[in-house]
Amino acid sequence: MRESLVIFRRELKSYFLSPIAYVVGVLFLIVQMGFAGFFCLIDRAQARMDGFFTLLPFVLVLFLPGLTMRLWAEERKVGTLELLMTFPVRIGALVVGKFLAVMAFLAVVLLFTLVLPMMLTVYGSLDWSPVIGGYLASLLMAGAFVAVGMVWSSVTRDQIVAMLLALVSLALLLGIGVTWFLDLIGITRGLPDLVDWLGMPRTIGIAALDVCAAISPYRYFESVARGVIDTRDLVYYACFCGFFLWLNALVLHGRRQKG
Amino acid sequence: MNANPRFLACGFVACRRQGGGALAGMLHVLLLLVVIGQVVYLASRHRLRFDLTQDQLYSLSSATRRLLGDLQQRLVIEAYFSPKDDLPTAVQTQQGTANVRETRAVLDGFLDELVQLGRGKVVVQRLNPNDDKDIADQCTRLGIKPLDLRTGSTTSVQLNRHWQGLRLLYGGSRQRVLEQIAPPNSYLAEAVLTPAIKEVLTEKKRKFGYMEWPVQAQAQPGQPPQGIGWNVVRTAETVSRRYEFQNYKDDEAPLLPAECDTLFLFRPKDLTDRQKYVLDQFVLRGGNLIVFADGSEYQIGQKRTFQSTPLAWDAADSQLRFDAQLQHYGIDLRKKVIADFAPDATSARQMMAPYEYYCLATMQGAMPVQYPYFFHPVGGDWASTAKQLAKGDAEREALFQKTLRPGIDTEEGLFGVFKKTARGPGFYWPTWVDLRRKLDAVDLPANVTGRVLLWSSPLTLIEDPPANLDPMGSGDPNQQIQYFRNTFQAPLMKRLEGEPRRQAPLMVEVKGTFTSFFSERERPKRPAEIKEEEAKKKAAEEAAAKDPLTEPVKDAPDAPVAKVDEQGPPPPKTDDQGDAVPKVVPEADKVVQGTAPGRIVVIGDSDFIRDDFVNQSYARLGGPWSIVGRDFFTLLLDWVAQDRDLAELASRIPTDRTLKFLEPVAGGTEDPRAAEQRLDRKMRMLLATNVFLPCAVLLLIGLLVFLARRAQKRSFLDAIGN
Repeated sequence: MRESLVIFRRELKSYFLSPIAYVVGVLFLIVQMGFAGFFCLIDRAQARMDGFFTLLPFVLVLFLPGLTMRLWAEERKVGTLELLMTFPVRIGALVVGKFLAVMAFLAVVLLFTLVLPMMLTVYGSLDWSPVIGGYLASLLMAGAFVAVGMVWSSVTRDQIVAMLLALVSLALLLGIGVTWFLDLIGITRGLPDLVDWLGMPRTIGIAALDVCAAISPYRYFESVARGVIDTRDLVYYACFCGFFLWLNALVLHGRRQKG
Repeated sequence: MNANPRFLACGFVACRRQGGGALAGMLHVLLLLVVIGQVVYLASRHRLRFDLTQDQLYSLSSATRRLLGDLQQRLVIEAYFSPKDDLPTAVQTQQGTANVRETRAVLDGFLDELVQLGRGKVVVQRLNPNDDKDIADQCTRLGIKPLDLRTGSTTSVQLNRHWQGLRLLYGGSRQRVLEQIAPPNSYLAEAVLTPAIKEVLTEKKRKFGYMEWPVQAQAQPGQPPQGIGWNVVRTAETVSRRYEFQNYKDDEAPLLPAECDTLFLFRPKDLTDRQKYVLDQFVLRGGNLIVFADGSEYQIGQKRTFQSTPLAWDAADSQLRFDAQLQHYGIDLRKKVIADFAPDATSARQMMAPYEYYCLATMQGAMPVQYPYFFHPVGGDWASTAKQLAKGDAEREALFQKTLRPGIDTEEGLFGVFKKTARGPGFYWPTWVDLRRKLDAVDLPANVTGRVLLWSSPLTLIEDPPANLDPMGSGDPNQQIQYFRNTFQAPLMKRLEGEPRRQAPLMVEVKGTFTSFFSERERPKRPAEIKEEEAKKKAAEEAAAKDPLTEPVKDAPDAPVAKVDEQGPPPPKTDDQGDAVPKVVPEADKVVQGTAPGRIVVIGDSDFIRDDFVNQSYARLGGPWSIVGRDFFTLLLDWVAQDRDLAELASRIPTDRTLKFLEPVAGGTEDPRAAEQRLDRKMRMLLATNVFLPCAVLLLIGLLVFLARRAQKRSFLDAIGN
C-alpha cells in the first residue's frame, strides 16, 4: 500500500507540475460543459443533470486515451521503465499507484464541473442524490476506461499507437452498450440477420447482442448515474477494473521476466 | 484478482519458453474471465439496491409491496411481447419522438422486480404473438392491441407489427387485460400496473350509494350541453372498474341497507324530512356520508351568461332544516358564496389550459381573467404571510400567525398529490362549510371529532349569494372586457376595500358516535305509510258508519304490516283497487344513539365534479373546466374506501423542479419581447459562466503553479550561481 502511495504521489505531482493537466483539463471542461450547458440549462425545464451524464462517457472516451497513453509508453520511451523495474516495488503496487493517480486527476477535473449543478440548484430545486450517483458512476466508468487504456500503454512503446488502440477499444466497449448507436449502424438487425444467413438460429444473434450489452460498462453507468446504487453494478466495475489492472501487471511482469 | 500475477506471469513465461506460452497465457486470461463472469452473474442474482433519489423514482412504492405481500394465491402475468430487438428506438408520436424499446426495458425491469418481491407468488409468462398464430389469435380474443409502427430510413419505409400487452390472472378466475402498455419510466409503469393488480385481487366491487339532485337540462340547439348531473365522475373507467354506485333516492324505500356503508349526496336540495331521517339513521349506524353541498345554484346559460337559480336545501313542506341537522352533528354549513382574491388561487393549473377557471376567448387566444368565485385552495402555510398581511401592525401579525391555517390543512394521503403541487382541487362558487363553533372555539358534540381539511386564502370575501355573478355579460370581446372592468370588477374591488376578508373553510370531516337529530322528534313517515294510515282510518270510519256498535280498528305500530310480493310483476290494477291500501316495506326501528362510529364529510362545492365542468363543455368558450375534479373524486373514493394503497400511489408524483431563470418583474406586467430579451441575456451569461468559470479557475491554478515553479527554479539557479 505504501509503495502504491509513493507512486501515486509521484504521478499526481507530475500531472499537476506539467502543462498536460491544464491543457487536457481545460479542453475537457470546454467540451463537456459547453455541450452539457445546452442540454441542462433550459428555462422552464426540470433541474436535472441527465444531459451532463449522458454526454460524459463519450467525452471520456475522447480524452482518457490522451491521459493513459503516456503512463507506461513514455516510461519505456525515455527508459525509466527499466529503472522502475529495478526498484524494490511490486508490479501490482506500481500499476495501482499509477491508476489511482489518473483517477485522482480525473476527480479533480470533475470537481470543476460542479459549477453546473450549483447553478441548477440556484435556479431550480435540484435533487443532489442522483447527482452524487452520477459522479460516482462517472468515476467508476472512468476507472474502467483508464484500466483498459493502461493495458494498451503497457504493450507498446509508441504513445500515439497506445492512444489510438485505447480510443478504438473504448469506443467499441461503449458502443456495444448504447442501443441507439447499435441501431444507427444497423448492428441490432444486422447481426441476427447475419447469424440467420449463416444458417444458425437468429436467437444466437440476439443473445450475442445481449452479451455485448452486458459486457459494456455503459449499461451499468446508466443504472448508477440515475441515482440507484446497485451492488451488481459495483461488482461489475470492481471486476472490470480488477481484470484489466491484473492484465496490465501480467504484461509488465512478463516484460520484467524477459529482461 | 484471485490469481497472483507473478505466479501466472512465471507460468506464462515458462510456458513460452517451452513453446506453448501464448496458449497458456490465453488460458489463464480465459479462466479469469470465466471466474469474473460468474462473480458478476451471482452479483446480479443476489443484489442490493439503494435508490438515492428524493422521490424514490426507481423504487416500487410501499403500496405495491404491500399488495404483493398480501397475495394469497398465485398472480400470473401473461406478457404478450414481440421480441425487444425488433422494437424501434425512435417512433414519431403526437407527443414527439418515443423510444419504444426503452419502454420494454422499463417493463422488463418492473416485471422482474414484481417477481422478486412476489417471492414465488408472481409468475411472468412471456408469449410472442409474432411467433405463433395461436397466440396472436388469443391476443385478439383478449383485446390486446398490436402496435403497428412505421419505421424507415431515407430509402425505405417499413410497417411492423409489435405487441406489448399484459393479462393479469389471479386465482384462476379473475383477470385484467392491459391492451397496450408502454411506460416511459418505472414510475408510470407502477401507476398503471399496481391499480390493475389491485383490481384482480379485489373479489367484488365496493358498492357506494348516492342521492342526486341534477341540474335541469337546458340545452339549446347549437349550445353546449348544460349540467345534467354527476355521471361523468361516477362512470369514469378508473372508478367503474372498482366501484359500483346505486341510487338510494327513493322516498318510499326503507332505511338504507347494511351493505351500503357510504352514501354520496350530490348537491342536496328540496330534502324531505323523510330523507333527512334516512341520512340520520345512516350515520348513526356507522355510515360514511359524503356531501357535495352548494349554497346557491348557478348555471351557465345561453351566450355563456351565468344564471342564478334559488337553491333550497329543504323541501317546501319540510319541518326540519338540513343545516340544523348538520349543526347537530357538528358541521356548520352556510348559504354563502366564497370569492378568493389571492392571485395564486385563480391561476390555471396548466399553462396550456388557461380556461381551467375563467378566461375570455378572443381571436388571439384565451385571456385569463381573475374571477374570484372560481379558485383552488392554495397549499402552503398562510401563517408565514402574516407579516405581509398585517402591514406593520404587530398585533394583527401575531393574530394572523396564530389563526391562519394552511390551504391544505391535513397530511391525509388524499391530498398528497395536491400538496406536492401546492394547489388543492379547483372549486366553483363554493359555499361555507365549517365545524360547529362557539365563540370561535370548535364546539363538537360529545364523542365526535372533526377537522377542516381545506381552507381558502386569507384574502377571501364571504357573501350571501348574489343574484348575478356574470363577469362578462354579452357582446364582442371588447364589450365584455369593458363589462368585466366596470360592472363586475370595479364594484367588487370597492367592496373588497370596505369589507373584512378572512379564510373560509371549504371541506370538513367529522366522525364519531353521533346522536340522532330525531331523538326527540317523531319518525317521519313515508308517503306510502301515510297513505296506508289514511286508508285504514277511512276503512275504520266506513265500518263504524255501517255498524255503529263496532269499535274502530286500532291502527299504528301494532297493526300488522302487509308483506311485499317480491316475486313476479305486480298484479294488474283493477278499477276497484284505485284506493287500495299501499304495501309498505317494514324498516328498522329508530336509533337514538349511534351504534357504530360514523363519518360525515362535507365539501362546499358540487360544481367541480358536475358533468359539464368535467367534460370540457365550456373549454372552447373560455372555461371553466375542472381539470382535476375527476381525479379528486377518484381519490376521494379510495380515501373513503380506505384504499390507502391507491391513494398513496396516486400521490406519488415527482417533485416539481422547474428551472426559473427569470423572476417576474414587479407589477406583474412586462412586454413579452423585453422578457424574451432578458431571458436571452441571462441564458448567455449562464452558458458562458458554465464553461469559462471552471476553465478560468483551472488555468489560474496552473498559472500559480507555473509561477511558483519558476520562482523555485530561479532560487535554485541563484543558489548554484552563488
